[in-house]
Amino acid sequence: MEKFVAFLENNLSTPMAKLSEQKHLRAIRDGVVSALPFIIFGSLFLIIAFPPVSAESAIGEWSAKHIADILIPYRLTMFIMTLYITFGIGYSLSQSYKLDPLSGGLLSLAAFLFTIGVEMMDKIGFVLPMTNLGGHGLFVGMIVSIFAVEILRFCKTKNVTIKMPDSVPTSVARSFEALIPVTIVLIVMTIITVVLGIDLHSLVDKAVAPLIKAGDTLPGVLIPVFLITFFWSFGIHGVSVVGAVARPVWEVYLANNSAAVAAGKAIPHVAPETFFQWFIWIGGSGATLGLVLAMLLVAKSSYSKTMAKATIVPSIFNINEPVIFGMPIVLNPILIIPFIVTPLIGATLAYIATTIGLVNPTYVMVPWTLPAPIGAYLSTGGDWRAIILVLVNIAISFFVYLPFFKMYDRKLLAQEGNIETSEDTNIAL
Amino acid sequence: MKVLFVCAGGMSSAIVVNALKKEGQKHDLNLEVLAVGTQEFDSEVRNGWDVAMVAPQVKHRFDGFKQSADEVGVPCQVIPPQAYSPLGGPTLLKLVNELLEK
Repeated sequence: MEKFVAFLENNLSTPMAKLSEQKHLRAIRDGVVSALPFIIFGSLFLIIAFPPVSAESAIGEWSAKHIADILIPYRLTMFIMTLYITFGIGYSLSQSYKLDPLSGGLLSLAAFLFTIGVEMMDKIGFVLPMTNLGGHGLFVGMIVSIFAVEILRFCKTKNVTIKMPDSVPTSVARSFEALIPVTIVLIVMTIITVVLGIDLHSLVDKAVAPLIKAGDTLPGVLIPVFLITFFWSFGIHGVSVVGAVARPVWEVYLANNSAAVAAGKAIPHVAPETFFQWFIWIGGSGATLGLVLAMLLVAKSSYSKTMAKATIVPSIFNINEPVIFGMPIVLNPILIIPFIVTPLIGATLAYIATTIGLVNPTYVMVPWTLPAPIGAYLSTGGDWRAIILVLVNIAISFFVYLPFFKMYDRKLLAQEGNIETSEDTNIAL
Repeated sequence: MKVLFVCAGGMSSAIVVNALKKEGQKHDLNLEVLAVGTQEFDSEVRNGWDVAMVAPQVKHRFDGFKQSADEVGVPCQVIPPQAYSPLGGPTLLKLVNELLEK
């Protein structure tokens, strides 16, 4: 067993985790993450615009009357999230190449704006259509940001730059340094979008359509769920690894769902990241809240009792590294089984409940450290049935973990018995 | 003694930080401990820390952290999984002291 685990760790989980540290993937992840506060802020206004009260109540009537105004903060943040994300990707990628991050961020932003196209409207003047500035344009944003920074890097490493005499101040010299890469990137973008009239967004849309479709199916949900707990089983932050690849797709779902709600249409997707966060990762990755409850209620060994008291509060707020490393679940053949199985059951149930309309799909992003029933209620735009689904999943988690925990607890208890006789009480470490 | 922790978001290590602080108080040590997320580490480690501790769940990013820490001569190590818990204070303090002695 130990050899098998070591084999998996050295040949599978560690190399895969290292892969997620690839510079471009990391820049995309950090770029998306840097936009999250704006996405959370904007999505809260969706709740205000569509409050979970009856339309006839005073609040309901007030928001219906002012809906266009209430949604303005949403339109300027979450609705155009890719605008923020492209800057973030360009910034992070140039930082990892030790280039000037500000130049990289701005150049990426400019390259992205060149894919949008300017329209002329009577009375208003020139406008930028906003649709592709949002989640819809995310993949184009990722591609052009990387393109822009790679050109920047190419010019820097090949010394394709305007050299100023030494007497010119450095800040002035630096602004000229960026001139050539900026010119190259923006001329290429002009040729593509203006001269050739190519709409990158519809091209990329077609290319990623199968991916967008696949990620929203039951296997598309279960595969990332399994991989995340698989990585955690070796002590690697699963969401950070899997999210590096999957998060762009999850963000597109969230953007589409929120845009549909704001437009008064049916919600299209089941599986934005909020779905995983609130219905599956209750108490943290592996849905360990049930385990901690089992520890609180039936623990016999003093180690489990102490751990239960120390970890219940962070668990309520979905922080479970203390459980994962403390119990530990990592490399623990007994607890890894429910750690992988529980989320798969919870995910299947939540997926079915959402597709057959028992709960609303999620479309609001709230901070992940909220207790799950509250987070689920808010992210479904105030659907009380989401709370019931969360409670059911907590109960499932409790009963799946229970027998495995009892087994492990007996082992701990036996160890404690042995150790006390050898006058060493520090069993944990 | 100034100890910098890094984990994915700076959240979970905050719990471990408290465990280390408590242990420090027991030994009358003056500890200054801060937990940061992976993105802040590179800039934060330059602000005069004595030791940097890497949470086990981000050990696959250790090479990058080590590089940043080496640039400013801060010793840097991955925390063993069992010590990364609210009960891990004693082991953590031992580890910090060992790192400082090197």
